[in-house]
Amino acid sequence: MELKIKINGNERTVEKGITINEALEQDGIEVPTMCFLKGTEHFPTCLVCIVKDQRTNMLIPSCSTDVQEGMDLITNDEEVFEARKMALDLLLSDHVGECAAPCQTGCPAFMDIPHMNRLLAQGKFDDALRVVKKDIAIPAVLGRICPAPCERACRRKTMDEPVYICLLKRYAADHDLAHEEPFIPDVLPPTGKKVAVVGAGPAGLAAAYFLIQKGYAVTVYDKHPLPGGTLRYSVPDEHLPKEVLDQEVDIMKKMGVVFKMDQELPADILQKLRKEYDSVVVATGEDNADFDGLIKKHRSFIVNSQTFQSNLEDVFVIGNAIKPGRVAIRAVAHGKEAAISVDQYLKGEEVVGDVRMFISRYGLMLDDDHDAFMSEANDRARIEKEKFAIEGFTLEEVKAEAERCMHCDCRAKDDCDLRILSDFYGAEQKKFFPKDREPIRKSFRNEPIVYEPEKCIKCGICIKVTKMESDALGLSYIGKGFDVEVDVPFNNPGFKIMEKTAELCAEHCPTGALEMVNNVEVVPFSK
Amino acid sequence: MTEDHQIVLEQILQNYDGNKKSVIPLLQTIQERYNYLPPDILQGVCKQTDITPEQIMGVASFYSQFRLKPTGEHIVKVCTGTACHVKRSNLVHEALERELELPPGEETDAKGKYTLESVNCVGCCTLAPVVLIDETTYGYVNSEDVGKIFSAFEYNKGKETVRKKALSNGDEYDGEVRIALDSCCVASGTEKVMNSVRAAVSDSGMNVKLKRVGCVGMCHQVPMIEIVPSNGGEPTFYSKVGPDDVKQILHKHFTPQGILYKLKSRINNFIEDMQTDKTWEGIEQYHLDVGEKQVTSFMGRQVQLSTEYLGTLNPLDINEYKLHHGFFGLKRALTKHTPDEIIEKIKASGLRGRGGGGFPTGIKWEMLSKQNSDIKYVICNGDEGDPGAFMDRMLLESYPFRVIEGMIITAYATQATHGYFYIRAEYPKATKRIGEALKICRELGYLGDNIMDSGFSFDIELFKGAGAFICGEETALIASIEGDRGFPSLRPPYPVQEGLWGKPTLVNNVETYAQVPYITRNDLEKYTQHGTETSKGTKVFALAGKINNGGLIEVPMGITIREIVEDIGGGIADGKKFKAVQIGGPSGGCIPYWMADTPVDYDSLKKVGAMMGSGGMIVLDETDCMVDIAKYFLSFTQHESCGKCTFCRVGTKRMLDILIDISEGRGKMKHLDELERLSEWTHRGSLCGLGQTAPNPVMSTLKYFREEYEAHINGTCPTGKCQGLITYSIDQNCIGCTRCVQSCPVDAIPFTPYKTHSIDKETCIKCDSCRIVCPEDAIRVN
Repeated sequence: MELKIKINGNERTVEKGITINEALEQDGIEVPTMCFLKGTEHFPTCLVCIVKDQRTNMLIPSCSTDVQEGMDLITNDEEVFEARKMALDLLLSDHVGECAAPCQTGCPAFMDIPHMNRLLAQGKFDDALRVVKKDIAIPAVLGRICPAPCERACRRKTMDEPVYICLLKRYAADHDLAHEEPFIPDVLPPTGKKVAVVGAGPAGLAAAYFLIQKGYAVTVYDKHPLPGGTLRYSVPDEHLPKEVLDQEVDIMKKMGVVFKMDQELPADILQKLRKEYDSVVVATGEDNADFDGLIKKHRSFIVNSQTFQSNLEDVFVIGNAIKPGRVAIRAVAHGKEAAISVDQYLKGEEVVGDVRMFISRYGLMLDDDHDAFMSEANDRARIEKEKFAIEGFTLEEVKAEAERCMHCDCRAKDDCDLRILSDFYGAEQKKFFPKDREPIRKSFRNEPIVYEPEKCIKCGICIKVTKMESDALGLSYIGKGFDVEVDVPFNNPGFKIMEKTAELCAEHCPTGALEMVNNVEVVPFSK
Repeated sequence: MTEDHQIVLEQILQNYDGNKKSVIPLLQTIQERYNYLPPDILQGVCKQTDITPEQIMGVASFYSQFRLKPTGEHIVKVCTGTACHVKRSNLVHEALERELELPPGEETDAKGKYTLESVNCVGCCTLAPVVLIDETTYGYVNSEDVGKIFSAFEYNKGKETVRKKALSNGDEYDGEVRIALDSCCVASGTEKVMNSVRAAVSDSGMNVKLKRVGCVGMCHQVPMIEIVPSNGGEPTFYSKVGPDDVKQILHKHFTPQGILYKLKSRINNFIEDMQTDKTWEGIEQYHLDVGEKQVTSFMGRQVQLSTEYLGTLNPLDINEYKLHHGFFGLKRALTKHTPDEIIEKIKASGLRGRGGGGFPTGIKWEMLSKQNSDIKYVICNGDEGDPGAFMDRMLLESYPFRVIEGMIITAYATQATHGYFYIRAEYPKATKRIGEALKICRELGYLGDNIMDSGFSFDIELFKGAGAFICGEETALIASIEGDRGFPSLRPPYPVQEGLWGKPTLVNNVETYAQVPYITRNDLEKYTQHGTETSKGTKVFALAGKINNGGLIEVPMGITIREIVEDIGGGIADGKKFKAVQIGGPSGGCIPYWMADTPVDYDSLKKVGAMMGSGGMIVLDETDCMVDIAKYFLSFTQHESCGKCTFCRVGTKRMLDILIDISEGRGKMKHLDELERLSEWTHRGSLCGLGQTAPNPVMSTLKYFREEYEAHINGTCPTGKCQGLITYSIDQNCIGCTRCVQSCPVDAIPFTPYKTHSIDKETCIKCDSCRIVCPEDAIRVN
């Protein structure tokens, strides 16, 4: 039997007995879902799949409602969008979890520090270096001079001392440079477009490093005889041996970056470069230099702070040229982000810069959180080294220090539906987040699964999965209402649970509440 | 499992099929035995039956009746119903915590003697605030008295020996003594009064008949007895009778037999007085002649259909019911009408569902009758969960046969095959009465095969709920009977299409069924003359709160709120000013005094932001804080949310967070907009009626009393109810009597006899004890 319905005003004929979602899919319309799992009974809970029936103005969960004759469905108006966003706002207000660790959000280059730490702790130094170099162009340099804002954000400091992230990073970088052939990142095939970078300081080097990877021909202009800018000419040798800088610059040269040194950089050079190159990145530091056509105020160039695009659309300005007095790591971060903007510009896309994905966060740590955090960390004290130590960590020290990391990030950060949808719908976690939150819990009792109840959005998928597979004991909703939790019935340590379904549940959990303990070993950059 | 437990489990399991369907009754039986659910027994159940751990724990942790932790010897329950709340049961609860010296988070005292629990409305709203210890109910409790409750309980424990042989023999009586014995009356001490009647009759040898009748509706006057002389004289009511008053009353009407009896009774009395005059009854009791205007007017404005023959029927006397038109409606239906004719008549009567939604009953029936199925169910929804509502309890307790008759007629009209009573856990008496009534009906052929020789067969099963407000929602109720957590499910399919066990199912409210026999028995006009164009007939309300005459009333639809409050309710108690009426409980709203001429019918109530609901009507006076009322209802729905859908589970919680902030002085003006936005989305986005209507109390108070919210945000609670915003002090009226000093549980008032006392604001916990005991009204709350 067939039914006549309307989808966003268009008349459609659909089969009786299918869900609204299935009908929409046939029409090429994708509706987000979290609690829905094909093949299991309908049990709508999350309500992000809401659509509207215009006849009644009712909001309906499309994943589990069958189409009815005459439905006049709206899937994309402002109200439906707001309803879904509201569902997400509410879910996030009860989602005590953080996608990214505070050290990562504290790092201007947004480096995935916990991931590096896990690899270092396992002795996978080359893999660790790849994680580092995804975001940081000159880690061996920064591993010596960085003021390490990440360590100021490190949660471990509420227990004792922060993890010595800076030296850990340095170890990964030095270990790599000690190879006969240090790691060279992949470079995309040439796009045929050329970019000039003015200034070979930390910002310029970083911009060059990331632009070349994106397939652009990059030429760096600098007035000094050697690349490095302030790194070479202001930082004392005992803090930063210049061979280290040379080695990291060499890698860039091997990648294809051309350095034109001892260049005069008069005010009209920019206009000349603009003619020769498709885009120009200005990274001249706290110089008094002026460039024709580029607007400057109080000795700084004026740019869009998100994209670094200047008043000239093909010119991007980064580093101390726009914000004087900032540390090298910020300049390096600018280089990475500007490369993204330039890429967008040269591809003819809207230039939006490095837009970071939504990050769930709950703010300060509570005393009651300590146990959960320490459950994955070594409780030994920080291995101290004097500032600007010539010697970094030994192999034993690096493993031991890396083990101190509490892994504040989320195991599901890369494939969390809640995060992806929150990002898409611009959900606001702070909107309803309570002042007194629940303390974090992490349960490893049911290995190979780690369960973090405070992240659970009560979708019920794992309960359905364990039921379907008739797993012994299974999982159950315990309690009701706001305080409902998913847990093992008769929570008795002696029982074997989720023997058949651990992996399935971890796979289908729409957020990071149920994850495989070991999924942190998955290394995307493995050789 | 211990051997003991193993043996008990074996015994228990003999009475159940070991499948999902029996989870709830099985758990109830286990809990009856142990007062909680021992985990090893639950695991044993899973091993020995088909019930899975997921099912048993899911159910055991969902319903509030079930306890997963052992309790003390006795269970102390504080009623959290609306009437109790407005009479400050929260202070009583806090006082009980102090009395039992419970550390935060603990429910059982250190000796393991008492466990303190909050319970949803127990339906004795006119006695508010109410505390129960095991089966004993204490009414009008204030925070000052909690110690006395325990002494009274300890004193009376094991003493309730009933002298049953007391009644005189023979058929010739000088008259009849009628006593109402429903929950309200029992709670107020009627049982003791009845024992006194028995004792007095036995001691004096008076020739009178004692008769138990159903609720008479005047709950504010109980314990009440009615003396009906056999010589045809006028009956006389006595209200608020104490056990000690009985003798005097009886002696006034009837002559004792001989002097010997008198002598004997005097000696007995003397001993008894010595033993009992120090006990605390918990309830102030005094005489009141019923001839007084108040009570007459209270009865006079009402129209009794559901409560027809109020106060004359012995609830379980089927012959008496038959003498009062009982089963006439059924007989007429079975013998003179086809099922379709009945449906047509119900449609024509304009009867709408009395459970709150107001869906036209006849149309629902028609939908069921059109379903082709070998099995069809008819369910009576007796899960009356609204705090402050006790109509259904009273109907089930006092008119069990009428409700059953209504269900049989419904089944005949829709050609249903099986019936269920779903009655909430908190109504043990109603459950018991219905159980007995069903048995009687079966024995006399009103249920079972070939009812009244009509060829129509139908039977009804009784299912006891386990304490979950959400189970008043029909799909959740069905899930509950099926042995699941009370999660509502999406409609369509509607229960009339696919309901219990996947079969077509009709769910109607108790009161809806109670109206049916009257409609089928009489000509249509007799019913339709009552009510308005769109809301026909009568509605039973539980009138409580700050009113002079609280209790159960049945009024024609369309009567105004003012008529109910002033003419029937006798106005506001204690000479206070009328502020608002809360109608419809947690799904309803507050109607302000300036809209008191609003007629009470489905559509008018909806228009003003309230809702008929099941019929709770709480009258509020000038001392009631509207923010507090909104917070009260929202905490109720938030707590009762099943937790399935995001908008209800989290939305109600976040709304409550904001209300708590406002009531504790952390509110900001922008919160009011946020509250409105959350209300709107919780209403629109929730999957079932609970979440959709949960914002109503907030929205209606915000609409009519916004300035009160603003006052809280600016730092004052105008009525002095919100503890976070008030301070206690003592003014110049103080005579230095030190009573407040003695009553203060935290020593916040220094001992300064004959001098004006003072309160240390830092130490004060705002328990209100000082204000209660102060003889000079010298305690100020600002």
